[in-house]
Amino acid sequence: MPVAELNPQSPAGVPKSAEAIITVRGLTKVFRDFWNRPKARAVDNIDFEVRRGEVFGLLGPNGSGKSTTVKLLLGLLNPTRGHIEVFGHSPRHVQTKARIGYLPEESYLYRYLNSRETLDFFGNLFQLSKGERENRAAQLLEMVGLGKTQMRPVGEFSKGMQRRIGLAQALINDPDLVILDEPTAGLDPIGCREVKDLILALARRGKTVILSSHLLSDVEDVCDRVVILFGGKIRAAGSLKELLAKPDTLRITTPVLPRPTLERVLEIIRRDITHGEVRVDNPTQNLESYFLEVVAKAREAAHETSGAQSGANVAAYLRKGIEEAPAADKILEKLSLPQTQPKTEPKTAPAHEAKLDEKKLEALAQPAAAQSVQKPEPAPQAKPEDLTKADEKLSSLLGGKK
Amino acid sequence: MQRILAIAGLTWKAALRFKVFIVIALLLVLAVVGLPLIVKDDGTAQGFTQIILTYTLSATACLLGFSTLWLSCGTLARDIEECQIQVVATKPIARWQIWLGKWLGIVSLNAVLLCLAGACIYGLLQWRATKLPVAEQKILREQVLVARGTAKEPSQMAEIAAAADQVYQARLGQNPQMHELSNAEKQIVRNQILQQAMADFQLVPPGYTRTWQINLGSEKKYLQDKGMQLRIKFETADQNNSGHYLGMWQLGDPNGTNFIQMPTPSLAPDTFHEIDVPPNLLDTNGVLTIVFLNENATPLLFPLDDGMQVLFPESGFVLNFARGLAVILFWLALLSALGLAAASFLSFPVATFFSLAMLVVVFSSGSIAETVESGSIAVGNEDTGKAGHSSADVVMIPALKGILFVVQFTNSISPIDLLSSGRAISWADLGIAFAHIVLLMGGIFIICGILLFQRRELATAQGNQ
Repeated sequence: MPVAELNPQSPAGVPKSAEAIITVRGLTKVFRDFWNRPKARAVDNIDFEVRRGEVFGLLGPNGSGKSTTVKLLLGLLNPTRGHIEVFGHSPRHVQTKARIGYLPEESYLYRYLNSRETLDFFGNLFQLSKGERENRAAQLLEMVGLGKTQMRPVGEFSKGMQRRIGLAQALINDPDLVILDEPTAGLDPIGCREVKDLILALARRGKTVILSSHLLSDVEDVCDRVVILFGGKIRAAGSLKELLAKPDTLRITTPVLPRPTLERVLEIIRRDITHGEVRVDNPTQNLESYFLEVVAKAREAAHETSGAQSGANVAAYLRKGIEEAPAADKILEKLSLPQTQPKTEPKTAPAHEAKLDEKKLEALAQPAAAQSVQKPEPAPQAKPEDLTKADEKLSSLLGGKK
Repeated sequence: MQRILAIAGLTWKAALRFKVFIVIALLLVLAVVGLPLIVKDDGTAQGFTQIILTYTLSATACLLGFSTLWLSCGTLARDIEECQIQVVATKPIARWQIWLGKWLGIVSLNAVLLCLAGACIYGLLQWRATKLPVAEQKILREQVLVARGTAKEPSQMAEIAAAADQVYQARLGQNPQMHELSNAEKQIVRNQILQQAMADFQLVPPGYTRTWQINLGSEKKYLQDKGMQLRIKFETADQNNSGHYLGMWQLGDPNGTNFIQMPTPSLAPDTFHEIDVPPNLLDTNGVLTIVFLNENATPLLFPLDDGMQVLFPESGFVLNFARGLAVILFWLALLSALGLAAASFLSFPVATFFSLAMLVVVFSSGSIAETVESGSIAVGNEDTGKAGHSSADVVMIPALKGILFVVQFTNSISPIDLLSSGRAISWADLGIAFAHIVLLMGGIFIICGILLFQRRELATAQGNQ
């Protein structure tokens, strides 16, 4: 068991004083056949808590019980045993549902409604006024990049577009708790990034997010705390930092150093390392960041598309109280700006690691542009002041604090 | 209410977007406009009424009935099977509101379609009426395109049943062998005694008279100087050569001078006839006395429930027609409750099958009544007169009695029959129909449906149901 298999009564990474908005105790779900014989034990005696303001991940392979757990939390399934409380009430409590937004694993929407009608319908279920429904629908459609396809029936949408409209309906009520079941399934990398940014933006506003996914990168990028399910049981639980940290290893990241400096540094390190391996390599950005960089350049010559467009502006009502930024200020702009660090640290692919030798050292001491690796056309260099402004804008858009 | 209306609106959109509404509307137009154009009437007011009102209204009710069942089973069952309900049920809307919203959506859709069909029928009725001969137009205006109230003698069934029971008990005491009969055979004996007792009230032997006294006291002032009609039906055991029968009628107070005597034209048995009653024949208490002399060589039997009725002018046709459509709407509301209740716990095809099976039971009420009357689900021997017997009778007969009671309870008012014979559907009738059909029977289905839907799990682990 990992060290971070924590007592759920005191989840790591979350202040102990934080209010638990979901409490699950001894939850078991057994599916039965027509003759009431047990068919499958989808969830087996699990306990966990989700606290206000955290992004909580339900991680596990297919069939591990993630979706069943989500449906139990939403009152769509009745537990065989155990106790669930959501905002202090039963999952079937109607008024509690006004505080919840749910995106199912597939976009189960009415295919004969167009996207605006879809949002209007769900807005009605939250008893929003006509003006409020229209206002929110317009903002949400813009946010998910469906502003130009409002009148097309949802049934004609691609899977990715359906996920986007599904996400929009989940946010129509500005929920306190957002439950997202495989939210990036069917989305292109840009859409995935936008969804993850949205989750982070919601978290900054104090919203609680439950993310159910088998995509490790999704969970790793946004979750504060996760439980890992397998065979209906919780196999590990805790904050990502605790689960993933390697306390016996250290990484130092610097700008490119001249060869003499690098040799001096290595010399100092070797003096203290009697055994074990010292590695020096170039940090690589992950494929998602690289892809977004390429697309951002392509977007400079963007053409009209009948499909979903890159969204980006978080709906103003979801930013609540923060002055609306100009429409041109896209989250993606930040993502496409050169040398801007994403929230998570760039991954270092193990394949790129190499043992230290003279030749390698020579190569590492050269500026990155001079290396033989094929890079996309360089983006216009942003001055430090521009980067600062972009960061400020993004922070404002997402409602975060500087 | 906003949530319920949102669901109702969604049901409308589903019907419109899937072109269900358009298809049903086209079929209705075909039934309402096309049918009378294809089927020609015989030029009489009765034939005209039969085709324009009876056929078209029946076709409309039938068409809307089946589409209602299909729509009500589909709208909920498909939402569950295709998982849209998972998104809806996680919003702040109670399950009973979802259920009720769908029911209201279907009922309102039916109301609109029924109004459209009704308007077409009414327009066609007025337009085609101008093509009838003048004499038939007069009959049509006086006997069909009116709303006539119905009066008849108070029911005497309770007294007759009590008298029959007395006779039965007396025979049991006099004849100890009767105790050895099976229960089914005893029931047959009892039925025969009851039929005999009823015959005393219904039968008019040759050369004898039968008198009816029908109280119209509450309408006396209103009916001054207004003509009325007798609506009669009789049966015979022996057919004469012509198949028609004669009689002498005396209408009015037999103790005074205000009465008339008139022979009737020869009339056929087993069908309804209308005989004009001149104005001002009521006595001081508002009672119309009718005496019939049987001039035939065979006894005539006037059934107690509908053998003799007096029809009197009550209100206009338009309002009556609207009330008739309202009763049809009540039936459609009941059907949609049935379909939704079935879909609350069954899949779409099974729910549709279940609902249709229930309809078949309703349409089989005649057979059920015969079975209940015979006292056994087994067939008796007609040659020996021995009653049938089955061990399942203990369960089946009470169950069939219950079903029959429910069917007769909800089917107490037949709007198409009343409208095509120019009889009034009063506000009281409408209220009773609403209470019986929508509140009581519909209410049972609504409550059962909501309870089943409330308990149902709306998802599986794999998504699709």
